[in-house]
Amino acid sequence: MVDPTASVEAAFREEAGPALATVAQLVGDLGLAEDAVQEAYLIALRRWSVAGIPDRPGAWITTVARNRALDVLRREATRGGREHAATVLALEGTPPIVHPVEDDQLQLLFTCCHPAFAPEVRIALALRFVCGLRVPEIARVLLEGEEAVAKRLQRAKTKIRTNAIPLSMPPPALLAERVPSVLECVYLLFTEGYAATEGTELIRTELCEEAVRLARLLARLLSDEPGAGGLLALILLQDSRRSARTDAAGRPVLLADQDRSGWDHGRIAEGLWWLDRASSHPSMSAGAASYVLQAAIAGEHARADTWERTDWPAIVSHYDQLAALAPSPVVLVNRAVAVSFADGPAVALPQLEALVDDPRLRRSPVVPAAMAELHHRLGRAGDAVIHARTALSRATTDPERAHLQHRLAELEAAVGANQIRPVT
Amino acid sequence: MRFLVMLYADETTQSSPGDPGWDAEMAGYLAFDEIAGHAVVAGEALLDSTTSRSIRHDGGVVRVTDGPFAETAEVLGGFYVLEAPTLDDVLEMVRHLPAVATGTAEVRPLAELVDNSSTAAPEGTTRYLATIHGVETDDETPGTPGWDSGGEAHGRFGRDAGDAIALAVALHPTSTASTVRLRDGELLITDGPYAEITEVVGGFYVLRSTPDAIVELAGAIPVPDGGGVEVRPVMEIDG
Repeated sequence: MVDPTASVEAAFREEAGPALATVAQLVGDLGLAEDAVQEAYLIALRRWSVAGIPDRPGAWITTVARNRALDVLRREATRGGREHAATVLALEGTPPIVHPVEDDQLQLLFTCCHPAFAPEVRIALALRFVCGLRVPEIARVLLEGEEAVAKRLQRAKTKIRTNAIPLSMPPPALLAERVPSVLECVYLLFTEGYAATEGTELIRTELCEEAVRLARLLARLLSDEPGAGGLLALILLQDSRRSARTDAAGRPVLLADQDRSGWDHGRIAEGLWWLDRASSHPSMSAGAASYVLQAAIAGEHARADTWERTDWPAIVSHYDQLAALAPSPVVLVNRAVAVSFADGPAVALPQLEALVDDPRLRRSPVVPAAMAELHHRLGRAGDAVIHARTALSRATTDPERAHLQHRLAELEAAVGANQIRPVT
Repeated sequence: MRFLVMLYADETTQSSPGDPGWDAEMAGYLAFDEIAGHAVVAGEALLDSTTSRSIRHDGGVVRVTDGPFAETAEVLGGFYVLEAPTLDDVLEMVRHLPAVATGTAEVRPLAELVDNSSTAAPEGTTRYLATIHGVETDDETPGTPGWDSGGEAHGRFGRDAGDAIALAVALHPTSTASTVRLRDGELLITDGPYAEITEVVGGFYVLRSTPDAIVELAGAIPVPDGGGVEVRPVMEIDG
């Protein structure tokens, strides 16, 4: 038999995000909405376990939480809180069943991405108030301590309250200024979900789905903003490969080795449609162009029915344009890798070597790992192993370490490991 | 809702009355008044920081030194207290301030304000800004016992100082602050206070005093131990 607590938990989790956003909109206070939804959860746990999950759990949670918040406001109002009295009056006029609406989440997303918050605060706020994750889950997603996350959220809520930061979308005049940080945050939600880490598979899948949903809402809302369409295309095209990028044991499968029939072709078609639409926009900011170009690169992979038929010269050209916008070291590394497939590893190698001393990459395994592959393809097995070892020594996460370890073992097997002197 | 806007600028490049840049800057502030005048609760420009004196309280010992309390690249040159419904409304006004185009503004919500400026100033006095500096602790935020006992101490100071106080302001902690710059027409907003210093500004007074009495008056302002007060004359602009 299914554990009733687990199914209540699952049903609640799915609806908690929208419910929290709707209640926050209604009562105008994030902390109050949070407490009310938490109370609704405790009531749901008792009642749903006995009476079963209601037909529309979202409406149920929202109504119960709204009533709880209303009770609190009434108590405050009788103690003389005049602004609370106004909220109570306004709320009492709303119909009893309130449906959580997508718009409320979108409104709160703009609050969470207010430029007065540092990027790491925005992502924590969005995970809490747009996605409805709880502190321990947010800590696991962001690979941070629970206490640090709780403190950051507490401070952010105080900042929202003391500065009266609106819990709504900015007026049209400010929208253009606010859009970049919203797009950045949704992409961050996606990449946090996409970067597979053990033990949090459920949350990560939900995050990818949530990011796709939010990006779709944004692309429709901001139909004249190519950045929003470009971001949606990028997320859809990357996400189309989600189930093919790990094997049955959860190990990553490289793009070259993925079973392309396992890609989500519905997402690819939708992504390519948005990519076409965004790339034909007459005017584009640098930020928007960066999403569109990244989507174009993902689109080239998505269009190729085999690895061999990938249009590498087209990918190199997209990377050239990306590098012209913002020559970040990661873009330059990826460009060099694309060059190695378009023009051969011997052409790409000097380009990678030029990046070895870049201070922004000195601690990252990215360059040595790519160099190992180029040497391997050039038949220099010994050099490949030396670089693969350097890469492994720079790994920071367990999955990364496992992946680099595995590759090192393969490269060592190709050469006979005992002929190689250790790198110091 | 009330907000403090502290304006920081590089003093070495600042204009003073008589310079060609001065008129342009004044025109900028007049234009700001057109846009935001209705929201201005208070606002003062300060004399340059060489006129500052700092009073430090260290375990019962009081030391007075010349110059600002904390060394920062840009120096506090003036402030506004603005009344606005939300932070967004403040940001829309702040972007029109001339100082924001070349310097930096810190925006921080007010926890408390006592405005006494409509009372007659004591004879022979001019005005001074006294900023209160101290190490921020979690138990001195609004709603905590630490905050309340601090409030009582300031209440006693207020009764003793009487008409010498024109304005008293307590601020929310620096974690509620936002820092604003306007560069190439784009408003750049960052999270947190202007300067990462340990002895942050927690509040301020505008005091009315004679030059001889100001240090003693400002020295009586309650401060957290290890903290202190910086006093600087307010620029009196005729008209």
